[in-house]
Amino acid sequence: MNLRRFYNRNRRDQDFAEEIESHIRHEEDANLARGITPDEARRQAQLRFGNPRTTREREWRYHSFPFLEGLRQDFSFSLRSLRKDPGFTIIALLVIAAGIGVNTAVFSVIDAVLLKPLTYPDPQQLVSLVNTSSRGSFAGASIPRFNLWRQQTSIFQQVAAIDFGGAGLNITGSDHPQQVQGIHVSADYFAMFGAPVVLGRTFTAAEDSPHGGHVVVLSNSLWKSRYGANPNIVGTTIQLDGQPYLVVGVIGPGFVTDTPADLWVPFQFDLNSKDMVFFFTAAGRLKPGVTIPQANAQMRLVADQFRRLYGASSLPPDGSFGVASLQSEMIGDTRSRLLVLWGAVAFVLLIACANVANLLLARAAARKREFATRAALGAGRGQIIRQLLVESFALSLTGGLLGLGLGFAGVRLLLRINPGDIPRIGEDGAAIKPDLNILLFTIGISILTGLIFGLIPAITASRANLAGALNENSNHASFGVRNGKLRMALVIAEVALTVVLATGAALLIRTFMNLQAVDPGFAMHNVMSMSMSVSGDRFQTTAPVAQVVQQGADRLHSVPGVIDAGVSNCLPMAGGFGMSFDVVGRPKGGSISSGGAGFCSISYGYFSTLKIPILRGRAFLKQDDAAASSVAVINKAMAHQYWPNGDPLKDRILIGAGAGPAFAEGPRQVIGIVGDTHDNGPNADPTPMMYIPLAQMPDLETALNSRVAPLYWFVRSEPDPHTLTTSLSAALREASGGLPVAHIRTMEELETTNIARQRLNMLLLSVFGVAGLLMAAIGVYGVMSYAVQQRTQELGVRMALGAQTSDLRNMVIRQGMTLTFIGLLIGGAGAFWLTRFLSSFLFGVKPLDPLSFLTTPLLLSTAALIAVWIPALRATRIDPMTALRVE
Amino acid sequence: MVMKRPPEAGDILQGTLDMLILRTLIMGPAHGHTIAQAIERTSENALEIEQGSLYPALHRLEDREWVSSEWGVSENNRKAKFYRLTNKGRKELHAATGRWRRMTRAIGLILGESLE
Repeated sequence: MNLRRFYNRNRRDQDFAEEIESHIRHEEDANLARGITPDEARRQAQLRFGNPRTTREREWRYHSFPFLEGLRQDFSFSLRSLRKDPGFTIIALLVIAAGIGVNTAVFSVIDAVLLKPLTYPDPQQLVSLVNTSSRGSFAGASIPRFNLWRQQTSIFQQVAAIDFGGAGLNITGSDHPQQVQGIHVSADYFAMFGAPVVLGRTFTAAEDSPHGGHVVVLSNSLWKSRYGANPNIVGTTIQLDGQPYLVVGVIGPGFVTDTPADLWVPFQFDLNSKDMVFFFTAAGRLKPGVTIPQANAQMRLVADQFRRLYGASSLPPDGSFGVASLQSEMIGDTRSRLLVLWGAVAFVLLIACANVANLLLARAAARKREFATRAALGAGRGQIIRQLLVESFALSLTGGLLGLGLGFAGVRLLLRINPGDIPRIGEDGAAIKPDLNILLFTIGISILTGLIFGLIPAITASRANLAGALNENSNHASFGVRNGKLRMALVIAEVALTVVLATGAALLIRTFMNLQAVDPGFAMHNVMSMSMSVSGDRFQTTAPVAQVVQQGADRLHSVPGVIDAGVSNCLPMAGGFGMSFDVVGRPKGGSISSGGAGFCSISYGYFSTLKIPILRGRAFLKQDDAAASSVAVINKAMAHQYWPNGDPLKDRILIGAGAGPAFAEGPRQVIGIVGDTHDNGPNADPTPMMYIPLAQMPDLETALNSRVAPLYWFVRSEPDPHTLTTSLSAALREASGGLPVAHIRTMEELETTNIARQRLNMLLLSVFGVAGLLMAAIGVYGVMSYAVQQRTQELGVRMALGAQTSDLRNMVIRQGMTLTFIGLLIGGAGAFWLTRFLSSFLFGVKPLDPLSFLTTPLLLSTAALIAVWIPALRATRIDPMTALRVE
Repeated sequence: MVMKRPPEAGDILQGTLDMLILRTLIMGPAHGHTIAQAIERTSENALEIEQGSLYPALHRLEDREWVSSEWGVSENNRKAKFYRLTNKGRKELHAATGRWRRMTRAIGLILGESLE
C-alpha cells in the first residue's frame, strides 16, 4: 500500500481543484467550438462535470483513515462544546484533577517504596541474617555467630557486619568539629551491596582485622559538603575523635543505605572472640539460584553446629538461625499503611467519577435535542457514543494532566508532613521523582476514569427517542425515568463511598486524639535534647565519660535560664537496651535469668530534669559514683511485673546475668521506684525499665556503649530552650574538651515525630473524607436542583391546585434525603465491613466505634440537607402562572 | 486496516475504466479531458465517462504507479495535468487486456449457447 496518499492532503486537494477547473475549461472550449454562446458553454461544461465539491470530498475521504478522521473531528468538536460551557468544564476538570492528583501523589510514594526494587544490584538476593525463636525472629549478631555465618559459602556470596544505628563519630582537628554518622562495617559490606567507588578503594581484609590501622571510606555527600569534592582526598588523613584516619576511598552518589551514613570505618573484629554480646547486625548476599527457604534450611543446620561449638547454653532450646528478605524487612508495615492509603484514594477517585458522570448526565439531558438532530442527520448510535466518549476523554486527559501537576505538589506536601519513617524515600524524598511509571499510571488512570464516567451518559444519551426529542420543547427536555434513576443511583453510590471514607477518617481522628491524651510520663515542655558522641580511645572506660557528664552538667547549670540538666544513654521515647537480670536469692525455675527489662544508664539529674516522679525510695544522688555501693532504680511496670506481692526495695538485682563478660558486675541494691514512661510510643504499654548511675557502669560496658550509642543530654529551662541553643552547645563543648552536640530538638518536637505517623494517617484520611463529603453534597445538590427544574410545570400545577409551599419544599427535601439515607445505609454496611482493615492503625478505639459510626452519617446528613435545601427553596418560589406557561 | 474505496461509477465495470484509461494513454501523454473524449469517441459514444469518477480513477492509477503525472500546457494553451503511462502501467495494461479477452470470450460462449 502506498502511504504517501495520506500526506499532503491539502496540497493534493488544491491540485485536484485546479485539475477540475482545467477540465471544465477544456469542456468549455469544446462547447465553444461547437458554436455555443460563451455563457451557455460554461454552464453546460459545469453541468456535465457535476458537483466538483462532491468529487473533491470523495477524493479527500479516499486519502484518509475514516476512523481517525472522525476522532479528529469529534475531538475538535468536543473542545468547542466544552469551551461553550466553561462552568461545567471547570468544575468537571477540578473534580477530575483532584481525584487523579491524590492518586498520582500516593502512587508516586508507592512506586518509590514498594514497586521499585532496592537501589542495590540484584536486591532479591540480599537477606538479613536473623535469630529465630518460638517468639519470632530478630536481627542482631555477635562475633561468634557472624564468624560461623560468614563461613557458609555454599549459600552466601558475602556476609557483612553492620552497626545497629551507630553512635556517631566526631570529625575533629579543625575549628569546626562535626558529629557525623559513622558506621562500622566489615570489609565485604561494599561488595555485597554493590557500592560504586568513585575514588580510591574500599577496605581490604587486612585493614578489617585487629590492628589493621585507622582507615575510613567517605560518602559522596560528606566528601562534597566537608571536603569540597577534593579529588586528591584519597591518601590524606582526617581526624576522627582526635585520631588520624587514612582516607582510602569515596563512594558514589547513588548509594543510599538504610541508615544514612556519612562515612564508614572497619569493624576490625577479632574473629576468635567468644564474646556473645549482640552489638551489630549481619546481612548477606545469597548465591545466585539459592532461595530463601534453602538458605533457611542451611541456617538451621548452622544453629546446631553453633550449639556444638559453644555449648548448649549459647543458644536457647527453641533458638535457631534464619534469613529474611532485606527488601520486605525494610518495607515492613509500610506496605499495609500505603495500601490502606491507596484504598482510600481509590474511593476518592470513584466519588469523583460518580460526580463527573452525574454532571455529564445532566449535560447530556440538556443536549438531548442536539443528539436527536445529529441522529436525524444520519449519525449512527456508535458515532454519538464515540463523540461523547471523546468528550469525556478530552476532560479526563486534561484533568489528568492537571492532576499530575497537583500530584507532584501533593507529594511535596506529603513529604513535609511525612512522619520520617517511610523507608527508602531518600533524603527529603529524593527517591520520589517524576518517572515513566508515574506518567503511565496517570495516563492509564485518566483513560480509565474517562471511560467510567463517560460510558454511562454516552450510552444513555445515544438511546434517545428521535421523534420524541425533536418534538419536545427543549425547556423540559429529559431522558425521563431511566436517566433520573441513573443519576439517583450515582448519588447513592457517592454518599455510600463517602460514608466509608469519613468513618475511616473519624476513627483515625479519634485515634490521634487518644494518643495525644496519653501522659508520656515525663516532662516535655521546655525540655531540650541533644546528642553527643563519646567515641574514640578517650572514652573506653567509665571514669572519663562520667567526668564529661559531671562537668557538662555543672557547666549547663551555670547557663542563665537552665533549671536542670541530665544525661542518659537512651532516649526516653526510644526505650533502652534489653537486658536480662536476676533477683538475688530468688529461684530461677530452670531459666537462665529471672527476667528481662529495658536498661538505661543515667546521670543523677535525669529524673528531675524530665520530671519523672519518684514513687518510692529515692533517686540517684551525686554521691552514687564509682566508689559508692552499687545501686539501681526500677520503674513501676518492672515492680508490678517482677514483684507482684513483694517489695523490690528489699531486694538486690544482678543486671546482665548470663549476657557475657562485658556485663559482668556485682549485684545492685534497688533504691527507688519511678513512674513509667511510654518509651515505645504512646500507643504501647510502658515496658519494665531499670536505671543505673552512669558513673557506676562497668568499663567494658561503657566501651561498648560508646560504640553503639551517643549520650543524650536533656536540659529543662525557664525560657523557650530554642533561645538557649547556642549557649547550651557552647557550654557542653567547653566542658567536654571540644565534643560537638547534634540532633538538638525539644522533647515536644521528638514527641511530634513519635506520633507523626498517626497524624499523617489522620490528616490524609480527613482530607479525603472532606473531599468526598463535598463531592457527595455537590452530587445531591445537582440531582435535586435538576429534578426541581425538570418538574417546574408539575410543581406549578400542584401549587395552582392549592398545595402549600411548605408541602412542596418538604416533598423535595424528602426525596433528596431518601437518596441520602439509602446511601448512608449502604455506606454504613460497607464501613462496617471495611474498617476492620484499619484496626492495626487504631489506638483506644475499636474499628466499630459507635461514636464514629454515628457522627459520620449525622455529618453527612447535615451536608446533604443543606445541599437539598437550596433546590427545595427554589421549588417554593415557583410562580404557578409562569410555570404553567412554560411550554 | 479498513479502507473505504470511493464507490465506482455505475456504467463501467470496476477495473474496466482503469484498463480503458491505460489503453488510451498508450498513444502518448494526455490530460483528463482528452482521455474522457478519446474513450467516448473511440467507443463511438457507446461509453460515456462520468467525469466525477474519471479523476479518482486517474489518481488511483497514479498511486499504483501505473501512470505518472505532471502539469503542462494543453493544445488550447491552457494549464492541464498530463498523465503518462509508466512501464509498470504498460505491463498492467497487457495483463488486463488478456484477462478481459478471456472473460469476454467465456461470457460470449455462455451467451451463445444459451441463445441457441
